[in-house]
Amino acid sequence: MKAFAQMKSFAGRGSMEGWLTRIATNTCLNMLRSASRRPELVTSDLSEDETAWLERVSNTTGARRLNAEQKVIAADLAEKVLEILSPEDRLALMMIDGEGASVNEVAEVTGWSESKVKVRAFRARKRAREALEKLVGRKQ
Amino acid sequence: MEYGPTLREGSFKLGEFMNDGHIIEILDNAPLASLSEAELQTIQAHSAECQDCGHAFEAAQLSAMLLQERTSEAAESALGANPFFQTRVLAAWREQRSSGGAWSLSRLWNTTGALVASMAATTAMLAVFAFAAPSETTNQVQAAVVPYSAESVVLDQEQDDNQMTNDQVIGAVYDADEDK
Repeated sequence: MKAFAQMKSFAGRGSMEGWLTRIATNTCLNMLRSASRRPELVTSDLSEDETAWLERVSNTTGARRLNAEQKVIAADLAEKVLEILSPEDRLALMMIDGEGASVNEVAEVTGWSESKVKVRAFRARKRAREALEKLVGRKQ
Repeated sequence: MEYGPTLREGSFKLGEFMNDGHIIEILDNAPLASLSEAELQTIQAHSAECQDCGHAFEAAQLSAMLLQERTSEAAESALGANPFFQTRVLAAWREQRSSGGAWSLSRLWNTTGALVASMAATTAMLAVFAFAAPSETTNQVQAAVVPYSAESVVLDQEQDDNQMTNDQVIGAVYDADEDK
């Protein structure tokens, strides 16, 4: 909708894809900023399925294969983990670790410097890892 | 901002820096999927001896798995995305692109049309003043400037004498007497 409304502002400068991506990125970041952010993730925030999933997976050694139901639970749990991150950190983590984008690509899409992207991804990875360590009871 | 040497940069020997802080830093510094098999084996070997690093590595693996599942689900959702962009936005953009030449000319005219029109009007007015109006006055000026036209010589000859001043007349008389 925003892209359609702002079509005149495009004016043919740069690529259409980049322009649309930037609009989508900024819109999503604004939505995430307005949404409430979970300060910390504790065991009581998880559903029974998620707690069981975490227990099962953390006690499994070797290759972990998930069935369709477990995949859905994993996606929900991932959403809860991501909620403790700031929108910017979440974006960097999702693009780099989830989608395999390079630091340069994230910098291009967001307009941030490469250093900023690296810092955000580092911070997000650290927070997510520490949250999961706490959830599986490995860290106090 | 740098976080010290990483496994990937190969700027250090693993044995020298293999401490808890550094292993955790490596895990946080790059996506787990981007580490090579050798790097992962080295981390695993260290994690087997170091409990803290083992827990960190396990959590990093869990985090990576969750992110993968989250991304997969998002990709599946995207397949059924609203076709709004394809049908409306991109169609409008293609239409705009196809009429690009005329569109840019009309846009140029919209921005500079008034200025160009006023400049053209001014030029036309100046042209009228330069070629039409000054032609009569120029002839008049020329007639006034040239006193030796046929008319002035034939008809106004006496008038020229009458126009002599008294001083000139007296001077001419006395000069003639002195010559004698």
